[in-house]
Amino acid sequence: MDLENQKRVKEFAEKFGAENVIVVFGAAEGEAAGLAAETVTLGDPTYAGPLTGVSLGLEVYHICEDAIKDEVDAGVYDDQISMMEMVLDVEDIVKEMDAIRSQL
Amino acid sequence: MNSVLKGTSYVLVHAPDMLVHAGTTQTTERIVNPSSEYLKELPKHLRSFEDAVAYLPNQVYIGNKIPADMSDAGETWYDKPIAKAQRSGKFGEIMSQAEFYMLMYACDAFDLVMLEAKFVSEAKLHFKERAQNEVMSIFDENLCVRDYEGVALSEIENAVKNEQAEGLYHNGKLIGCVKKAHDIDTNLSAGIILENLVSKTSCTLALLHLVKTAGIDKSSIDLVLDCSEEAVGDMNQRGGGNLAKAAAESAGFINASGADIRAFCAAPVHAMIHAAALVASGTHENVVVAAGGSIAKLGMNAKDHIKKGVPVLEDVIGGFAALISANDGISPEILSAYTGKHNVGTGSSPQAVITSLITDPLDKLGIKIADIDKYSVEMQNPDITKPAGAGDVPLANYKMIAALGVKRGEMERTDIDGFTQKHGMPGWAPTQGHIPSGVPYMGFARDDIMSGRIKRSMIVGKGSLFLGRMTNLFDGASFIMQKNDELNAKKKMGKQALKETGAAEKVSIILTGIGSEHGEENMIQGAAMAAARGINVLYAGTKTTDDVTTLRAKDDKKAHEVMERLLKNGEADAAVTMHYNFPIGVSTVGRVVTPALGKAMYIATTTGTSSTNRVEGMVINAIYGIITAKACGVKAPTVGILNVDGARQAEMTLRTLQESGYDIKLASSKRADGGCIFRGNDMLAGECDVLVTDPLTGNILMKTLSSFTTGGSYEALGWGYGPGVGKGWDKLILILSRASGAPVVANAIEFAAQLVRGDFKKVAAAEFSALGQIKVQDILSAARSKETEKDTAKETGGALKVPQKEPVTAEISGIEITDLDDAVAVLWREDIYAQSGMGCTGPVVLVNEGKLKQAEGILAKKKFILQVDD
Repeated sequence: MDLENQKRVKEFAEKFGAENVIVVFGAAEGEAAGLAAETVTLGDPTYAGPLTGVSLGLEVYHICEDAIKDEVDAGVYDDQISMMEMVLDVEDIVKEMDAIRSQL
Repeated sequence: MNSVLKGTSYVLVHAPDMLVHAGTTQTTERIVNPSSEYLKELPKHLRSFEDAVAYLPNQVYIGNKIPADMSDAGETWYDKPIAKAQRSGKFGEIMSQAEFYMLMYACDAFDLVMLEAKFVSEAKLHFKERAQNEVMSIFDENLCVRDYEGVALSEIENAVKNEQAEGLYHNGKLIGCVKKAHDIDTNLSAGIILENLVSKTSCTLALLHLVKTAGIDKSSIDLVLDCSEEAVGDMNQRGGGNLAKAAAESAGFINASGADIRAFCAAPVHAMIHAAALVASGTHENVVVAAGGSIAKLGMNAKDHIKKGVPVLEDVIGGFAALISANDGISPEILSAYTGKHNVGTGSSPQAVITSLITDPLDKLGIKIADIDKYSVEMQNPDITKPAGAGDVPLANYKMIAALGVKRGEMERTDIDGFTQKHGMPGWAPTQGHIPSGVPYMGFARDDIMSGRIKRSMIVGKGSLFLGRMTNLFDGASFIMQKNDELNAKKKMGKQALKETGAAEKVSIILTGIGSEHGEENMIQGAAMAAARGINVLYAGTKTTDDVTTLRAKDDKKAHEVMERLLKNGEADAAVTMHYNFPIGVSTVGRVVTPALGKAMYIATTTGTSSTNRVEGMVINAIYGIITAKACGVKAPTVGILNVDGARQAEMTLRTLQESGYDIKLASSKRADGGCIFRGNDMLAGECDVLVTDPLTGNILMKTLSSFTTGGSYEALGWGYGPGVGKGWDKLILILSRASGAPVVANAIEFAAQLVRGDFKKVAAAEFSALGQIKVQDILSAARSKETEKDTAKETGGALKVPQKEPVTAEISGIEITDLDDAVAVLWREDIYAQSGMGCTGPVVLVNEGKLKQAEGILAKKKFILQVDD
């Protein structure tokens, strides 16, 4: 995960409280989504960024997961996401996200 | 006329020591974790020069293999070295690190590069070998390194240790350095100078190969645009730039200027669009778009590669150059009018991005997603990106394009995989940011288009602007390359060449289809009818039909924009539309079928205004009618004047023009009294070729003669309201009514084509030039001053003394009805008693028999009637 983004997520968690922050990912495949989710929950697995050794334990979802999809206006979702949903391996992404969530 | 892609070159530089010492993943690691395992492991995973040469994606990059070879070879390529791979290819070469250091020395204009003497003497041997190789013998005196002997190692060691010089390493040993260019300015630090010099040198290498691959004289290059991602400048103008000019100088392009275009990874496509426009507009004839590579990105994902047991594949610096030239009639054209761009308001969702870059230009051109044979997107090599967790970038892009096709109803969801195979390619470019961004395929695209394997390709570049922290916006641009349209080339060669080749020119007419009272179906039907008559019909609207090219326009305004663009860039020879705001001085000449014998007749004019003065306007209308008839092949058109207000004066003025030498043939009425003043009977009989009238009356005639068979609301007959004509007016735009039916629409398109073939603009110019010999303005102003006199007579009329009454039985005819009272007043002033009256052919002035001659003389002198012959 981009070092600058790690920094921003960390700052948000400190400012608003970890329990008030949800991170929504748009990554195009499972592994990348999982890595990003791992970074903001358990800590940076690459030991490179500000979240190295920092377990924020934030709530994490991918935009294509039903929990988030159901919150979005169907028209907006169709305009912005539906095309990508068609080409993504959503099942694999959900599996990766579940795996991270199960470690929390 | 579109510009063409005349040639391309692609180069790679194998740089394993630069990867270790200057790649940012490594420099960051050295700061954060200097004793890391990774840094210790890294050298063991580097590839040799031979391995880099034998790597299939690199062989594709320089043109020794084609993209399809990669699909055949399976999912990964690092484990399948090519036997007997060559370091030189049809697009360029893979250069060794030692040679590159020498070239860097040659490209250094400020004595900042130092190389060790022993290294130099060995590296020179490489250059001797190069001279034997046809492809690689690209260096001339400008880049001669023969005289350089190098320096002692101790001097280099001292510079690196004590003077903040950046070391240059080969096979793990220090063999040279790049010195800092300023004591304090960090923008001129040794590291930055090295980064910029690597970019300049690899760009120069690409330029030199382009000279060879495009077969062009260096001195004929007008401009170089550099589109790399380096910032050249000092602390007061960081990124001030002109790496382009620096590289052009090194390459010996003495007549070239240069400028840099920066837009992250999207810059190459932006630069191509700029170059194509500069050439298409005629500003320059030969523009080169080029970029060297990025030292910072070497080994960017090396940690992941090592972790996954893959060699460190990001060990090459990339470079490319492309020559965009004036249309040669052979090379693929770059369609400057149909580019895609990501706008500020487009949004960043993949759907919005793909729409703006892919389908917006396709819609403009009126083609579908599958009409592009090959898409070149971010051609990142998946061998590199997959182990790094970034997936297969080109494949993801192709899937998105296909998915948009599904959403647009152009394909089925089950077609997505087939689409990605047919219209896509595996990526072969090194992950050097701007280098993979659409442009790697241009060389193959040129070959594939010219050999007929494909017809069109779209090149797409994208950039992540957030990296610079100035905006969160995404960026992208795209352009289409397609088979050279020989028609355009023939047009350029001119009509003479056409005659020589014996080829017939197919005329292109754009029709706007929105706004008809009979709906768009009616318009497209007319378009199809015209296409069947051998005309290339372009249609701006939403409907489609076979043999007609639809350029998608959702409303009338958009349709007019399409029309204007096509007329401007010469893709349409003429336009047919339902309304147009012509300037004063321009009016339209329609063509009708006269009912008596079915003969065609031109009505001058039917819309617009030739002049704000009625009589002058009718005289000009006559000339416009003659021009239109002549352009349609009527050699000596006969002119009749409809008997409306102003007809007599118009006749007089036309006769004066005739006497002054203007070749005009006045028609003869079939009625008993003859003459060129026509009444309704003559009009229905079509007794003249051109019927002159004022535009309002002409408009009524058009509508009446076009729709009298249908009951009025559907205009089924004739050719429509015709072309706008005017002195200095250079667009050929023909007008239809919103009530025009499909047959008239088709006829109007045919009318337009006839005018194009008859060289309407030339005929008009010739006619205006013939009139230019005559004092037309004097004749017209004489007609105008007569009107002024009429007004004066009216004003003073009341005060006139009435002469002694006497019997009045002699008729003087040929006077305008509106002039009648004035004519009487003029005679009273001369002490001749006169009365107005209505004769059997029109208004008359009655005078005493004995004073007839005198009265006629007075009225002729005052231009109320024509001179009466004795």
